[in-house]
Amino acid sequence: MRNWLTIVGREYKTRVRRRVFILSTLLGPVMMVGFIALIVLLTKSQESNSKILVVDSNEILSFQVEDIGQIPSCFECFPEREFLEYRFTTEGLSTEEFLESDYDGILEFDDGILQNSKALLQYETTPSMRVKSAVKRDLTEAVERLRVKQESSLDYETYKRLKVKIGLVTQDVETRDRNAESKTIVGWIFSMFMFLFIMIYGMHVMRGVIEEKSNRIVEVVVSIVKPEALMAAKVAGIGLVGLTQILAWALLSWFLFLGFGTYAESTGMLTEVMAESGNAVSTTDLNTFMSSHEDLGFLMQINWLFMIGWGLFFYLGGFALYGSLFAAVGSSVEQESDTQYLLLPVMIPLMFSYLLNIQILESPETTLATVCSFFPFTSPITMMVRLSMGVLWWEVVMSALILILTVYLMIKLAGRIYRTGIFMYGKKPSLLEMLKWLTYKNR
Amino acid sequence: MTVQQPLALCLHDVRKQYGDHVALDGVSVEVPEGSIFGLLGPNGAGKTTMIRMVAGITAPDEGELSFFGTPLKQSDIANIGYLPEERGLYKNMRVGEQALYFARLRGMSKSEAEHELKTWFERLDVDGWWNKEVSDLSKGMAQKIQFIVSVLHKPKFLILDEPLSGFDPINANRIKFEIKRLRDENGTTVMLSTHDMSSVDELCDHVALVNHGTKILEGRVDLLRENARAGRVNFKFKGNLIAFTAALGASAILHNVHSTEDHIHEMVLGIPPQTPIEKFLKWATHEVDVLSCSPMSVSMDEVFLRAVKKAES
Repeated sequence: MRNWLTIVGREYKTRVRRRVFILSTLLGPVMMVGFIALIVLLTKSQESNSKILVVDSNEILSFQVEDIGQIPSCFECFPEREFLEYRFTTEGLSTEEFLESDYDGILEFDDGILQNSKALLQYETTPSMRVKSAVKRDLTEAVERLRVKQESSLDYETYKRLKVKIGLVTQDVETRDRNAESKTIVGWIFSMFMFLFIMIYGMHVMRGVIEEKSNRIVEVVVSIVKPEALMAAKVAGIGLVGLTQILAWALLSWFLFLGFGTYAESTGMLTEVMAESGNAVSTTDLNTFMSSHEDLGFLMQINWLFMIGWGLFFYLGGFALYGSLFAAVGSSVEQESDTQYLLLPVMIPLMFSYLLNIQILESPETTLATVCSFFPFTSPITMMVRLSMGVLWWEVVMSALILILTVYLMIKLAGRIYRTGIFMYGKKPSLLEMLKWLTYKNR
Repeated sequence: MTVQQPLALCLHDVRKQYGDHVALDGVSVEVPEGSIFGLLGPNGAGKTTMIRMVAGITAPDEGELSFFGTPLKQSDIANIGYLPEERGLYKNMRVGEQALYFARLRGMSKSEAEHELKTWFERLDVDGWWNKEVSDLSKGMAQKIQFIVSVLHKPKFLILDEPLSGFDPINANRIKFEIKRLRDENGTTVMLSTHDMSSVDELCDHVALVNHGTKILEGRVDLLRENARAGRVNFKFKGNLIAFTAALGASAILHNVHSTEDHIHEMVLGIPPQTPIEKFLKWATHEVDVLSCSPMSVSMDEVFLRAVKKAES
């Protein structure tokens, strides 16, 4: 056992201190967040003040004031914004005139809009999402005010109070889980990482085995510990390297998220976004913002501890399973280039469960998804998606037990191939031969 | 052969088969304690299989291995040092760290290992390499480290597979010296395989020759030489060659006769085993003027070539 831990320690230490590992661990989340931030910043900085000309030929929204020109009849409807400015006119512009003008967009307002609730915004440069949603909000309020005034005796404030917008929350009656569909995206991200880490670090296992075999270090080591133990120690050590990276990424992302939250709160960015989306809630704190946000609210409802806990379990189980297969493949060759066709049977279930996720996202409760979340070669990836949607507890436990059992068997079987493979030099073995090794006597 | 010394290792009727290939076909070998035992034979003879068995990497299909009188078991590994033939080190580790790792696997404590390593690094002139990257080492340098790693834990039994291949003559002598020192100072039993017969002459007390999975020769080096010499002596005299030959008759055989003008003749004489050399000399001095007479030196090369030939015929 002491020797076993010494080997695990070596596999772990020599990898964790590599510059590549440290850099990718530190930069991974920074790059991901940075990439998103960069996109946001780029779109924001490109966004100059948009000037929109509202052609209001029937003077529905505006009226003429001498010496000043056309002004909106409802100032509250068109509030001042740093990125958006309205001008009103009664006479339309020809395309040439528009192109020559300093307006970015032109919007013709007529009775049709009142009836169809659709307006046409013509542009010279594509308007940003922010501009579009602001224009939409402004016009909606303007039209609403007009209609309320024309067709009822209410004042607008009363109308606003009366108006309701129903939010739909879905709940699974068995698991009591809410808004499961949007949560699958989180499960999908989990399973994507699962796939990536199993593959990347699985290849590490394979390369490590090939290195030891081709330079014969393996002979010295297996004269001290059993080959099966060496293989298991290698898988464990490298699995822990992956685990370290996952945890480091999770922690770093969490800090970056908190950091972003503090920044967004202090700059009032959140309040601004809230106001733009027409939400009356004025908030300065990220959690409240997230909870009340229509598209992000589900993030706050996810039981992160539960997801991360099971995520770690399925990662460790899945890695032990695939890691030992990668080790068996590595043991049977002398150089990495010979592994390709042997890797295929290992990669197929891994790829399959990854691709299956796309289908599960569309329709979560198919029989295939259920079966795959129990089948040990696909369950580490498939179960993550199902977990995010909510699964019955006994299903998870069952899947976990099947995985543990299979890992135990697979380490035994892969160990048999491994202990024969590491002493086979010369010709490349076929899959059939490797299966024959399973029946070889001990040593 | 009767062996008075206690045995460090005894292989009894060992058989090992890989698929259809019989690697060892009932081999028995006895390695006396405190000896340097040479395991010899052409490529594919079964040497490495034997070595792997002793190192505990493989087990025999049939037969027994006993180690200092008891059947070889997993815990004996602590008393065995093993240097495999094709050697490597982990590329992503430093020299010292790597040596420590193997020492730890052999059950040494860190301080003990560091102390031993320091001694060995100085002894083999590699101190100052502790923090070197393995990828910066030359082949010979790396081999020194590997040698150190295999002897560091002071094993009672040391297995060296081709320990001298890849070393330049200076370092090969260095390693030979260390192997002998281990035997003489620590009483280590060494089992080494080699192709290099001159190093067998220099190093080994005992040898075994295997070919095609069977042992064809085993014994003490001096006795094997004696046997192979088969009573042959280098003989030099002054006198009449024809008269001498006639007087000899059938009691001895002449080979490689060289004669000079002043009637000096040099030859190899095969004296039958039943004739003591003293008796022959007494007789010869009566007949001719004996200039020199010495037992013929037989190289191990010759010993083996003869043994292989004999086994094959």
